[in-house]
Amino acid sequence: MTQATLDAQSAESSDAEFKPDDLRDQVSALSRAKGEPDWLLAFRLASLEQALGMEWWTGQEESWRRTPQDRLPRRARVGHVAGGSNGTSISVPPHVFAPDAHAGMVHQIDGRVAASDLADEARAQGVIIKPLSVAAREHAGLIQEWLGAVGPPQDRYDAFGRALWTQGVFVYAPRGAVVDESLFYLITQDVARGDHWHYTLVVAERESQISLIDAGDANDRRAEIGETPLIHASVELIAEDGAKLQFASVQRWHRQTAAISTTRGRVGRDATIQVTTAAFGADLDKQRIDIDMSQNGGYADIRGLFVGDGNQHIEHVTRQHHKGVGATSDLLIRGVLTDESQAVQYGLIRIEPEGQKTNAHQTMRNLLLDDGAGADPIPMLEIEADDVKCSHAAAVGPVDPDQLFYLQARGIPPKVAERMVVRGFLAEIADGVPDEHMRDVIDELVEIQLEPAKGAS
Amino acid sequence: MTSPLFEIDALEVAVEDKQIVNRLSLTLQPGEVHAIMGPNGSGKSTLANSLMGHPRYTINGGDIRLEGESVVEMAPDERARLGLFLAFQYPTDIPGVSMINFLRRAMSARRGEEIPVREFRQVLNEVLGRLQIDEQFVRRYVNDGFSGGEKKRAEILQLGLLEPKVAVMDETDSGLDIDALRIVSEGINTFHSDDNAILLITHYQRILRYVQPDHVHVLIDGRIVESGDASLAEVLERDGYEPFMERTKEEVLTS
Repeated sequence: MTQATLDAQSAESSDAEFKPDDLRDQVSALSRAKGEPDWLLAFRLASLEQALGMEWWTGQEESWRRTPQDRLPRRARVGHVAGGSNGTSISVPPHVFAPDAHAGMVHQIDGRVAASDLADEARAQGVIIKPLSVAAREHAGLIQEWLGAVGPPQDRYDAFGRALWTQGVFVYAPRGAVVDESLFYLITQDVARGDHWHYTLVVAERESQISLIDAGDANDRRAEIGETPLIHASVELIAEDGAKLQFASVQRWHRQTAAISTTRGRVGRDATIQVTTAAFGADLDKQRIDIDMSQNGGYADIRGLFVGDGNQHIEHVTRQHHKGVGATSDLLIRGVLTDESQAVQYGLIRIEPEGQKTNAHQTMRNLLLDDGAGADPIPMLEIEADDVKCSHAAAVGPVDPDQLFYLQARGIPPKVAERMVVRGFLAEIADGVPDEHMRDVIDELVEIQLEPAKGAS
Repeated sequence: MTSPLFEIDALEVAVEDKQIVNRLSLTLQPGEVHAIMGPNGSGKSTLANSLMGHPRYTINGGDIRLEGESVVEMAPDERARLGLFLAFQYPTDIPGVSMINFLRRAMSARRGEEIPVREFRQVLNEVLGRLQIDEQFVRRYVNDGFSGGEKKRAEILQLGLLEPKVAVMDETDSGLDIDALRIVSEGINTFHSDDNAILLITHYQRILRYVQPDHVHVLIDGRIVESGDASLAEVLERDGYEPFMERTKEEVLTS
């Protein structure tokens, strides 16, 4: 497989603006360079037209009001794609996210596939994990059926995400397939290369069970970058009737990065989707998670974990959208904020009139370890059915002094005690990650992030 | 002459500017068990928590000495490392922190060095067996979802592992059924030796049937109004706190 180098320079003429014709040309060139079938180019171009027909956020919108105006670029550039398949120009550090044991993996650097494999047992069941462009050639029917099946793009980032992606993965479990170990999708951010658009598509057919770890890390955490890189991740999760889909995203992008993600899940009848996200890097991280509970009896378990430091802004915008009867959704967000870092959680539970017997809950808890840190949790309920159970709870505060006293009363020094409480607080969220090794990695990252001399890490 | 093991010397404790403990003095010698008995609101928990250094309580006067060394200026963790222990009336739950991790850290802190895993396991299993606690128990999060009895047993487990010099037991008997009370009491008795001392703080006399006190003190309005031997507990059981409270009122009026 040969991939041509796509010159991204021509698209970098302006931050806020772009020339639509240039973008159309670049998307076409990108698709050709990746050897994509015509229908996929058509999908990209249609998404691009949708994006061009939309506006950027202004900050007036309810879900954007608390986002710092100048820290998330309103920008659409085709990212860089590394040339050739027999070597990469960047060196990848020993990967903190390297899986311990897994059923399959794809590792991409700059759109180039660095590694890809799948265990025989999973392969025998018809399970697929492949770079999205490759899957489009080899499993055209499946990709055509499922790409974008979660619904039309909801905003301009979402739409551009479908048009401009340079790397992506397709994960698929056929009907009844059950894979115990997690699959891994690793992305290494080449910090010298600017913007990235990722696309993750996971489909669990009826009665199947599958889990994917989606991890992103920077190749050089100490590099000084001239311009804020923008990273957008489009994630589409589909669990058909009776399926169980677990998805965990762990990101540690370079500290100057503006990261935004659009995660959309569709929960089938009596199906389960579990989403856990853990955010450690980036200057700004805005995660949008939207779960569609249109079918009866589905379950969604949505968890978010983060540790903010420095001047980081970490934001979660979520929607639990119920239309089916007797479905349940739980949202649980917990974060720890040090220094001057700030967090926002804007969580909506929306229940349509037909969504009777819904159980929907939200809990947002923020621990502030320093005076300059702050958090703004905003739970919202829009309920049009009359026979539902809903609850929401939001908290912002310091570590419970009684917990600290209890540990201190056993001889544990205050700093260590605080660390224990904080790690425990987050460990409960990390319990949702379907891979033990990855839970340890998350705990390790929490520890690193909480180190006082963490600036250089 | 060597110092007593533990001395509370004219201690005054306030909570939010309200004086709760009034010039309370008490001396514990090695091998002794003292019981402080008092009605609700007499200052029992304030005394217990302030001995351990809870930040909510302000020491306005007096001293607390462990083997002659004043601990009032010390942080709770320093006191604990020196050998002071508080069994909590309401142990705090700490979700996400496993008992086993917590116990190992606490033991290492008390020893002043990391305890080897093998040795920790050995000691832990021995104490668990003695207290009839299932091994799976230590996989759970600290006090999280524990029943009242489990919480108290977990306190005694810590007492057994940390081997303090002085153990202050704050209403350890409350909320226990008769079987749990017996197990917990046995745990205290097993821990007790000629080298350490126990201060039982309790409302009821029933734990004293299992843990024999050498001295019993009656606490009313933050002061000790009467001290005696084990028979004083029986007087309290029979007559209640009322006569002591009446007497305190009179003393206050005439003073």
